[in-house]
Amino acid sequence: MEQKNQQASMEQSQTEKTSAPAPRRSIWSGSITIGLVNVPVKLYSMIYNKGVTFHFLHKPDGQPVKYVKMCTKENKIIPWNEVVRGYEVSKNEYITFEKKELDAIKPESDKRFRISKFVDYFSVDPVYFDRTYALLPDKSKEAYGLMLRALERTNKAGAGRITLRTKEYPALLHTYKGALVLTTLRYAYDVVDPRDFELIGQLEDPQKAELDLAVKIISDLSGDFDITEFKDSYMERVQELVNQKVKGETITVEKQPEVEAKGLMVALRETLKQLEQQK
Amino acid sequence: MIKKHKENNQLTKVNLKNLDKCFYPDAKVTKGQIVEYYIKMTPKILPVIANRPLVLTRYPNGIKDAESEKTSFFEKNAPVGTPDWVKRYPIYSPSSKRDINYIICNDIDTLIWLANQAALEIHMPFATTDDIDRPDLLFFDVDPEPPATLSDAAEVALQLRDKLRKMSLTPFVKTSGKKGLHVVVPVVPNYSFKVIRGFVHKVGISLAKENNIVVSEFKDTKKPGKVFADYLQNSPMRTMVIPYSLRPTKEATVSTPLEWSEVKKGLNPSDYTLFSVPKRQVNPWKDIFERRFHLEI
Repeated sequence: MEQKNQQASMEQSQTEKTSAPAPRRSIWSGSITIGLVNVPVKLYSMIYNKGVTFHFLHKPDGQPVKYVKMCTKENKIIPWNEVVRGYEVSKNEYITFEKKELDAIKPESDKRFRISKFVDYFSVDPVYFDRTYALLPDKSKEAYGLMLRALERTNKAGAGRITLRTKEYPALLHTYKGALVLTTLRYAYDVVDPRDFELIGQLEDPQKAELDLAVKIISDLSGDFDITEFKDSYMERVQELVNQKVKGETITVEKQPEVEAKGLMVALRETLKQLEQQK
Repeated sequence: MIKKHKENNQLTKVNLKNLDKCFYPDAKVTKGQIVEYYIKMTPKILPVIANRPLVLTRYPNGIKDAESEKTSFFEKNAPVGTPDWVKRYPIYSPSSKRDINYIICNDIDTLIWLANQAALEIHMPFATTDDIDRPDLLFFDVDPEPPATLSDAAEVALQLRDKLRKMSLTPFVKTSGKKGLHVVVPVVPNYSFKVIRGFVHKVGISLAKENNIVVSEFKDTKKPGKVFADYLQNSPMRTMVIPYSLRPTKEATVSTPLEWSEVKKGLNPSDYTLFSVPKRQVNPWKDIFERRFHLEI
């Protein structure tokens, strides 16, 4: 019931257009597989990383800066075809791989998200959540609708594995605002167990009176969570600054390497002369 | 900035970019050198490709190591951002259920623009927009399967030349830039592709009867040591690489028109590259369309 309320308030906030625009293109299509049952779906990205982006420019002439690969020994710029991947086996000692060697062992997407079991959605700690994707029905709406309602009623999530591009992820299938969504999870090896910090083990139990007071403060300040209460004030200030600057001067990028083209112009002049004679 | 743009405009409308980017790492060829190559070859290229809807293979980052990484893509439809002055020709594509706007290159600016788009390889069909359904070129793709070599292909091409000349046709030849030879015959566009394809196939069959290195059927193409006289490209909007097109090979080879006297044993495709071809004084395909033959099939 409580969850229902939360959903209602979230839906309301959506009408105020605080959410990100829905993407047009799916990034994966395949099916959710539970035993012999298949639910064909398309996967859409649901997470943006907006924020502010700046480009680096060369201050004296305002032209874009580019990154190059330098060999640290020869101290010169090297082309991509001279780059291999090195795995550091011990300090400053590498074994190397060609891209095709690594490509050969990458997992292949078999276009299936196989659910091995259903778990209580709230039993999976959010620290493992990586990226969330929206699922839409592909061909059959019935199978999708059935899966959605069943998960909503049980409050369960399907756990399994999926290959996106060339990486395999553990993932959860769950519901969100009346849709099926898939959240990829982090592997255990990527998440720190805080008990490994020594200090955490050395904590002492607080006095009862202090604890009671702290609990009271918490319950006084309790309320429903609303993401729209949080504004990215840095982005807003940057946008304001941008608007001001646009009115003033802007730096124009000259995409015209005059010097390089000079040699070509000699050849071009010569050819144009020939073409004139051909006529 | 606007002023600079105008200065450049006197010679070409194309806004050249990334000219120092390396496109052939082994041959050490930059994009600037590729643009310069196509500029120099323009007088020999334009008469052959005029009014032909072109298909491009673009290599936005050069050929790199072509064997392991996918670095190119085919392009038929004029891409977003194609300037207004580039001529286009729509052909309905039944498979994608829409018109494809092919690029027509009748002037030097378009050719420079193609090179600037990293269209290293340019392909042309065997008909022009005058009558896109009737070929004005017969095409024999003389394709050796290892261990057969270009020398074997040369022997077959000479035999093919003699056969075509006996029929009073005028064949022209070029290297494919890879391992084979391309032989074409200009004709008055009177017949459909189907009829022309049948004719080219028949010539292949009679070659195969005379010389057992030649195979005339598609199913035999992969037989080692054989030379396939490929007739199948004689179809609507099937293409061959244009004369003087670059190829994505280590040495930056060129599909090079040859005099028949140059077609002989020991012919080596890597002798014809971006560096050597512009120095060639000969123009073997000059006036090719003035030698059209009234084919009667």
